[in-house]
Amino acid sequence: MASLVGAFAASHGPLLIREWEALPADQKQRLKSGFEELGRRIAAARSDVLVVVSPDHWSNFFLDNVPAVCIGVGESNDGPPEPWMKGFPHRELPGHPAFALHLVREAMTEGFEPSVSHRLKLDHGVCIPLWRMGLERLPRIVPMIVNSIEPPLPTLTRCLAWGKQLARAIASFPENLNVSILATGGLSHSIGEPTMGAIYEDFDRETLRLFGRAESELVDYLERKLPSSGNGSEEVRNWLVAHGAAGGRGFELVDYLPVPKVIVGCGFAAWRVPA
Amino acid sequence: MTDYWLSKMFFDLQSPAAAAEFRADRDKVLSRYPIADEVRKRVLASDVAYLARRTNPYLLRYFFFAVGMKDEEFIRKLRDG
Repeated sequence: MASLVGAFAASHGPLLIREWEALPADQKQRLKSGFEELGRRIAAARSDVLVVVSPDHWSNFFLDNVPAVCIGVGESNDGPPEPWMKGFPHRELPGHPAFALHLVREAMTEGFEPSVSHRLKLDHGVCIPLWRMGLERLPRIVPMIVNSIEPPLPTLTRCLAWGKQLARAIASFPENLNVSILATGGLSHSIGEPTMGAIYEDFDRETLRLFGRAESELVDYLERKLPSSGNGSEEVRNWLVAHGAAGGRGFELVDYLPVPKVIVGCGFAAWRVPA
Repeated sequence: MTDYWLSKMFFDLQSPAAAAEFRADRDKVLSRYPIADEVRKRVLASDVAYLARRTNPYLLRYFFFAVGMKDEEFIRKLRDG
C-alpha cells in the first residue's frame, strides 16, 4: 500500500528567481536554507511521488475554462513556460499516471470532481520550490492545481476536505509507494492590485500559529482576513490541502521571513504526518 | 466586470514572441482582438488603473511586465488610479 511519508509547504514567487542575486545576503541564506531543508526531508522520506499542490498562473487555463481543481495524470508534464524560468534544469517532469488516476477515481467516488489533464505546463508555482530545494533525484511529480487566482475560488473548508480525501486515496493505492505532498504559494503577497508589494506580516504569523489550533479557528480567521491581506495570500488554500492530508496535526515551522525584495511573506513548513 | 478579449490578449502576450510583436507594432496586435475602442485607447495609453478594473490582476501584471514597465511605475499607476 502507498504511504503518506511527508507533507510540506514552501512559498514561491517570480522574484525568488529574477531578484535572487540582488537579495540581502542574510535573507538569501535563510531562503536557501528553508528550501534545502524541505528538499532534504523529501529525500530522507524516500519519496517516490511528490503531489505538488499549486495554483496555475495562467499557464494552462484561461477564462474559457478555469477548473477549481485539476489533477495531472500524464506520463509527463512540461517544465515551466515562463522565459525567466529557462534555467530550471528539467524541461519535462515524469508523472505517475496509475497513481494519479487512482487519486481521481477515489475523489469521484467520494463526491469530489476534479478536472483532469494528461499534460500540464508546470509553471513557477511548482518549479521554483523544486528548483531551490536542490533535489538530486526528482520524485515523480503529480500536480494538483487548485485555483487561487481567478474567483470564484474553492472554499477553505473544501480545500481541507480535499486534503483529507487525498490522504485516504493515497492510503488505498495498492502498490508500495512513498508519497509526499508539497503545497506551494503564500504566505501574504499582493499582485496587480493597488496594494502590490505589501506583506502582511501580522496576518502571516497569526495564520502560522493557527495551523496548530482547531481547524474551525484557522478557517474563521482566514475567512475574515484573507480579503484584506493581498490576493496572493489566497494561495494558503494549498497549505490547507496539505494540512488536511496530514490530519491537521500542525506543523514544524522551518522558517518564516517577510522578504520585501520578492514581495512575499516566505514560509517553509513540515507537517507531522501520521506514522 | 471582466473584459474577455482584453484578458485574452494579455494571456496571449505571455509568449515572448507575441510580446515582442506587440512592442514592435501595438496596433497590429490589438487589431486581432475585438476590444472596445475606449479600452484599446487605454491600452495604448498604459492606463493601468483603468485596465485593472477589467481583467485579472495577475494577467495585468504579466502584460505590463512583458511590455517592459518597471514594477515601481506599475505600482504607482495602480495606486494613483
